[in-house]
Amino acid sequence: MAHPAELSAVIVDDHPAVRAGVAQWLSTGSPPITVAASGEDVRVAWTGEGATADVVILDLHLGGPAPALSELRRLAEAGRRVVVYSMRADDEIALQCLELGALSYLTKAEGAEHLLEAAAAAASGRAYTPPSLAGALAGDRSTDRPVLSARETEVLIEWFQSESKDFVSRRLGISPSTVNTHLEHIRIKYAMSGREAPTKAALLARAIQDGLIGVDDL
Amino acid sequence: MSEYRTADGHVHATMRIVLVCATGALQFGLGLQPLLTREYRHRWLAVAAFVALACVTAVCCGWVLRRRPLPAAVAAAGTVLVLAASFGAMAAAAPGQRHAAPDWSFGLVGWHLLLLLLDRVRVLVAVLAAHLVASLGLLLSSGVADRAAFGATGAAAFGAVSVQLAVVVITRVLQRQSQEATAVAEERDRLETRVLLARQWEQGQRSALAGQLGSTLPLLAGLADGDLDPREEDTRRRCALAATQLRRQFAENDEVPDPLVHEVTACVDAAERLGVDVSFAVSGAAVPVPPQVRRELTAPVVTALSAARSRARVSVLRTDREIRIAVVADAGADGVTASTGQVRVEHGAYGEHLRLEARWRTPPS
Repeated sequence: MAHPAELSAVIVDDHPAVRAGVAQWLSTGSPPITVAASGEDVRVAWTGEGATADVVILDLHLGGPAPALSELRRLAEAGRRVVVYSMRADDEIALQCLELGALSYLTKAEGAEHLLEAAAAAASGRAYTPPSLAGALAGDRSTDRPVLSARETEVLIEWFQSESKDFVSRRLGISPSTVNTHLEHIRIKYAMSGREAPTKAALLARAIQDGLIGVDDL
Repeated sequence: MSEYRTADGHVHATMRIVLVCATGALQFGLGLQPLLTREYRHRWLAVAAFVALACVTAVCCGWVLRRRPLPAAVAAAGTVLVLAASFGAMAAAAPGQRHAAPDWSFGLVGWHLLLLLLDRVRVLVAVLAAHLVASLGLLLSSGVADRAAFGATGAAAFGAVSVQLAVVVITRVLQRQSQEATAVAEERDRLETRVLLARQWEQGQRSALAGQLGSTLPLLAGLADGDLDPREEDTRRRCALAATQLRRQFAENDEVPDPLVHEVTACVDAAERLGVDVSFAVSGAAVPVPPQVRRELTAPVVTALSAARSRARVSVLRTDREIRIAVVADAGADGVTASTGQVRVEHGAYGEHLRLEARWRTPPS
């Protein structure tokens, strides 16, 4: 896969230490992601260099008591690729973020490895499912949840339980890339259900390009 | 309430047996002799009244001797028959002899009424009063009463009625006392049950604690005696296991909204204190889990965490169908926990990793 230009990110978090740490992690990724802008307010993602960054890394709890879900919705509606990075592991909020069009939801307990993968995936318009989000999807009891195959559910649960794709592939006797394919399929199913968002449509278009699904599957 | 009713029933049943005997004895002891020897205007009517009253007593025996209350229909029919017999007997005597010796019915029917209506006090008092007033009305209407006869009749009536009312009052007093006694006995039973339950609970707690301490006590004894070397890997692992078990057990009785996660968190805390880097995640909403199932679900967590060398992943997943608790740890495969009745435990070694999973199918809600 060719990267025509350097990938860039904007970090929205109310803690300077977190912004600095995330910027440091992103710079060590491969490919490295440069931080176009960062700040404690979501405005930084709408103005200056932040407005054109490939990825928005958004802390859901920006000082206020309520999670910044409306900010997330506005960003997703504008087609921005958002990775939610939250202090709290709350299944319901995680599912709500996916519904609103976030490409990934990570808890801050999940380290650099997952953040880097999520940011790199989001920068190329793909979804990333870290273990905590896999747990939230596996435990999803909502009535309008998409129907997953038995294998997909198994992959979700094993990934949630072990945090290691190698371990999952050993347990289930499949290759790590098949594990990834299952996870991506699951996310496509979620993108096709519920309300529409430009980022979800872009995710589906990307999946068709990647050959994960056919046009007929839509 | 039902106990009170039973207590009332006992008092009434006993009093009725006394009344059946008294009524029978009074009728035959005081009534039979005048019936056979005195002169009557209509002897057949007097005999019929006597037989009717005897029959009422006999029919009542059917229920009274079995200590059963009289059915309402029997009581009503009996009352009507007794009143009819009373006026029949009075009519059978010559007007001048009413309420005198040949009219044996006047004092007697009160006892029959008492027998029939003992548990219906208001009706009883009303019927007794009606009977008394009607009898005195008949006496006055016959117009031949002289003062002495009237006085004698009044005294006889007063005597009979006051003894009968006394029986009613005694019955009420006995009733109240038996109710109080029942209440006291009940309270004592309740207390005894509570004491018994508390003792059982305490014993249960003791034996549970002893069961849980089972592995800890020999370990402590071994360390104290110097039989076990704290530097040895095996001893350290046994200590870790005991510490995690104890920590989980302390958490077991805490009042928290999500006891399962609370207990697993206690295990994770214990492992982290022992230097294991634990990644812990929970998914899905809390569902009620019986304490025994919680114990069985957390047992593999205790085993796997105490065997972990440096890293472990602990996860609790709650779907709409089941609860799955898994531990993936860098440990040997010797930490094995068997499946129990309700909880299915799966374990396996994958290279350097040990994986243990406990699954419990939630009952359909």
